[in-house]
Amino acid sequence: MVEILLIKLVVAGLVFAAVLNLAGFHTWVERKQSALIQDRIGANRAPIFGFTMLGMFHGVADVLKMFTKEDIVPDRADKVLHTIAPFFSVFFALVAFAAIPFGPPLHLGDRVIDLQVAKIDAALLYVFAMLSLGVYGVILAGFASRNNYAIMGGLRATAQMISYEIAIGISLIGVIMVYGTMDLAELVRAQGQLLGGWVPFWGIFAQPVGFIVFVTAALAETKRLPFDLPEGESEIIGYFVEYSGMKFGMFFLTDFLETIVVASLATTLFFGGWQVPYLTEDGFLFPWGGQLPVQNWVYVLLGVASFSIKGLIFCFLFMQLRWTLPRFRYDQLMNLGWKGLFPIAVINVVVTAFVLAFLGGSS
Amino acid sequence: MAVKAVQRRELTFWEKLYIPQIICGLKITSTHFFRNLFLHTAHLLGRLKNVPASVTIQYPEERRPLMSRYRSRHRLTLREDNSPRCVGCMLCETVCPARCITIVPGEHPDPDVEKYPIRFDIDLGMCVYCGYCVEVCPEDAIRMDTGILDLAAYSREAMRLDIHELMGPKLRKPISDCSLEFPHICASADGEMKGGWDSVPRSKGS
Amino acid sequence: MPSLTIDGREVSVPKGTTVIQAAEKMGVFIPRYCYHPGLSVAGNCRICLVEVENLPKLQVACNLPVTEGMVVHTGSEQAEDGRRAVLEFLLANHPLDCPVCDQSGECDLQNFYMNFGLYDPRFREQKVKKQKAVQLGPHVMLDQERCILCSRCVRFTDEITKTGEIGIFQRGDRAKIGVYPGTELENPYSANVVDICPVGALTERAFRFKARVWYLSSAQTVCNGCSQGCNMDMHYVLDRPHLNEGARVVRVKPRYNPDVNQWWLCDEGRYGLEWIDKARLQEVRGPGDTANADTNSGKATWEQALGAISKSLAEWKAEDVGARIGVIASAKLTNEELFLIREIFRDALGAQVSAWVPEDPGTCDEFLVKADKNPNTRGATLLNLTSPDAPEAERIVDEALAGNIDLLWVFGYDLVEGFGEQKVRELGEKLKLFVYSGTNENPTQALAHWGLPSAAYVEKDGTFVNHHGRVQRIGRVFSPLGDSREDWRILLELGGLLGLQLDWRDPQEIFLGLADAETAFAGMSYGTIGDQGVEVACTKPTEGVTAPW
Repeated sequence: MVEILLIKLVVAGLVFAAVLNLAGFHTWVERKQSALIQDRIGANRAPIFGFTMLGMFHGVADVLKMFTKEDIVPDRADKVLHTIAPFFSVFFALVAFAAIPFGPPLHLGDRVIDLQVAKIDAALLYVFAMLSLGVYGVILAGFASRNNYAIMGGLRATAQMISYEIAIGISLIGVIMVYGTMDLAELVRAQGQLLGGWVPFWGIFAQPVGFIVFVTAALAETKRLPFDLPEGESEIIGYFVEYSGMKFGMFFLTDFLETIVVASLATTLFFGGWQVPYLTEDGFLFPWGGQLPVQNWVYVLLGVASFSIKGLIFCFLFMQLRWTLPRFRYDQLMNLGWKGLFPIAVINVVVTAFVLAFLGGSS
Repeated sequence: MAVKAVQRRELTFWEKLYIPQIICGLKITSTHFFRNLFLHTAHLLGRLKNVPASVTIQYPEERRPLMSRYRSRHRLTLREDNSPRCVGCMLCETVCPARCITIVPGEHPDPDVEKYPIRFDIDLGMCVYCGYCVEVCPEDAIRMDTGILDLAAYSREAMRLDIHELMGPKLRKPISDCSLEFPHICASADGEMKGGWDSVPRSKGS
Repeated sequence: MPSLTIDGREVSVPKGTTVIQAAEKMGVFIPRYCYHPGLSVAGNCRICLVEVENLPKLQVACNLPVTEGMVVHTGSEQAEDGRRAVLEFLLANHPLDCPVCDQSGECDLQNFYMNFGLYDPRFREQKVKKQKAVQLGPHVMLDQERCILCSRCVRFTDEITKTGEIGIFQRGDRAKIGVYPGTELENPYSANVVDICPVGALTERAFRFKARVWYLSSAQTVCNGCSQGCNMDMHYVLDRPHLNEGARVVRVKPRYNPDVNQWWLCDEGRYGLEWIDKARLQEVRGPGDTANADTNSGKATWEQALGAISKSLAEWKAEDVGARIGVIASAKLTNEELFLIREIFRDALGAQVSAWVPEDPGTCDEFLVKADKNPNTRGATLLNLTSPDAPEAERIVDEALAGNIDLLWVFGYDLVEGFGEQKVRELGEKLKLFVYSGTNENPTQALAHWGLPSAAYVEKDGTFVNHHGRVQRIGRVFSPLGDSREDWRILLELGGLLGLQLDWRDPQEIFLGLADAETAFAGMSYGTIGDQGVEVACTKPTEGVTAPW
């Protein structure tokens, strides 16, 4: 029992460290990627012992700055809620990673270790529950600040997130119907099949419309451009106007964490998670008859690498989108959510149901 | 009020779908991204140095060349004997819309010059850089061609340039010792008069 | 009375009038350099050219007597062409050093060039070099290059001062102005040559490089240097304290008044105004303060001073011993203030009041400078403050030393100078109340119990009567320096504290009260005085009064 606990702690620690470091890395990526897109150089100072590492230490400098800055709490704000709100945000964003499988089961001696912090039957529901709870951080921050602009920003954010959660939820019903499970580990395993012997049976091929709806709505959930109306830090004033120092930093971190969550989810649900095409537990089985047996640890390593690479590609894509698209107007945002994505998702479910019924309920 | 109705183009079906347009946008940003990524990498490896990867000018180290008519910090031009060309006519003080110039004239030993400034202050905190002082000067004694742009200071007093800083544009406050030899109101001597014409080498003809 | 037509308008002028005077009379200005109404006609600058019908050539307006039926065009193309040519000649050797010239801004060469010159210079030759920055005398600088040889200054020294220091030397383009060898331009009116010089050749040494003339503001006032009361314009700078070492008065120019000083002003009056900005009393000093206390704490205020003084005065009044009050007024005060002193101290309190102080007579001449250096002796006389029935200052001081006077108020007069420090120190110990009010620091104010700072005469409104009986308004140029107050304001406030019925608010109203009370001023007001003044009703000095000197 203790061993299981230790193993779980190690796995949780790994996920925690990887995710937080990736989030920190994101700040550098954001600066550099936007700079390259705009023909600039980007942050390139902040030396440590004369080395600048392409400006990578700016993230460290930022953290130092955030920690040493004065923490201002408005005079008439609710001090307790004002302090708790950013923790809520970060906490729920981090906790969502618990249910995401990031690699195939690892065989260590005769022990089988799942590369997933928590094996939950309804993992999908759990992830969405956690993401939904994230909205509390936002509305609490706006509410506790005792600032009209902050609470307006909080309300904007709440309306946006709740609206888009519906679209996300419905877009995933198709995936659940196709694979017949809500356990993410199972879902990934199911995507290891081949379609017609050649094409991997990934969600993107089974549910292309669902994928587009999911990615769009999930981007909206992360509150980043082009859906950054809740924050609009440079002009429209969001829910965290009254935050400073590391509390503000935590909201910022949440954004990056949520981006990673969404990237992981998209990978897991639509791109076969840790699956590598034609790679099974026994090795590569190519459709043209070739075969390449691999050790279990190689298999696990390839799986983790596959998951990581897919996730990073999504992170890159989101970042690229963020620096490509302008912000929506609020009415456009709501129109897109309710009149665009929601009906499409519903139609997608109905069509999927018909197709499945026509195919005779193959799974 | 006249109203002009602007006809906006109807969006085509593909444009309305939005996704193809997003892809178009991504194509543009990605082209820049990968091109610059490639060039930056090549620069790191010492190749393709002649193809710029960014338009950035690294400011304090690299400076953009100024236009010849750019109005930067003022300076007072000098005669051969290192005294100011200024004859203290106060036309710049008169024309200055910000009233940032303060001149106290004195008697010059050369009767063909007659007048020169014993005090010449420009308060850069008030200056609006209109350049009228340069335009109006009958002696070409004041110019705004030093190319000095970084004029920040820690006090209003330090923003007030006196004759030392105006005659030697490289000088910044605090001025430890004064190298001016003609009589002037000297900041390094607590605003007392300092100097004498005897020590100024006179050019011939005077 | 020949009548002539100038620029299409007909005018009749007395016989012998010149065209330039006739034009001036109808408001047509003809340019001039050598012509000056106060001097003889030289006719050598040729800038006043006018076109006269039926005369073949252009004529100089300053030297052309009018004839019946003459038709003159001052602005015709031919006249302007002629003037432009003359100006080009005059400027041929002019150095064009306007930037360093103190005259620039009020220079007739600049003005006329901008008015009708505006030609492109054709003079390509070397200009003739002459001497620059020559000191002609204690007050005047000469720049021979700038001179256009109009000879106004020569005629001034020949005709007005009759000293004849200045002459024109050499010939042709080397002709130049200068003083005769061995002489200096040091007559008492020397600075007038600067005023009449139309260009920058003659400039004031006192004004040299002090300011540019376009920085100056101007206000009309009257000289208080002697009983002549010359009219003058005070030029001052308030917004550029770095010029002129912070002093407000930069220079003084005479103001034309045909009945007093014409166009002239003596050097003594012109350069005797430093006291307005230097060593002024600016704070009330009470009995508790030492004369030079540096700290601000415990400084007396006007309220304390006037409260304490009026309280003492009220006590004496109640005991009906007004004769134990002595007031030494001054003929430097305005009529309004003297009138208030008379009303309050002599009439209401019964005090002994005198404006007759012992003074040595100053220099005098037959032209403008008068020996009586007080500007308002005649006014004090008209108000019966210097007549034989009024006590003299000397008698008041003697009575005070004898113990017959308890309170002494001195207005501006330096007792130490008149009676010696020993006597004044004794006064300070003997008197119950010793008040000094004045403009500048002096030993008397240091020995008095109360030292009240009062405004200089250019800081207050009021009138003087000059020796000839002309009432002239001095006008207010500045606001009082520091804490000082106008004497009339001090007196009005004191009267109010004593419960007297003085329902005047400013000098104008006080003067109306004075005009009601005194027959000599009957019917006058500031409106009728205007800026040239009016003569009092009886212009002869009152019978039986002889000046104390």
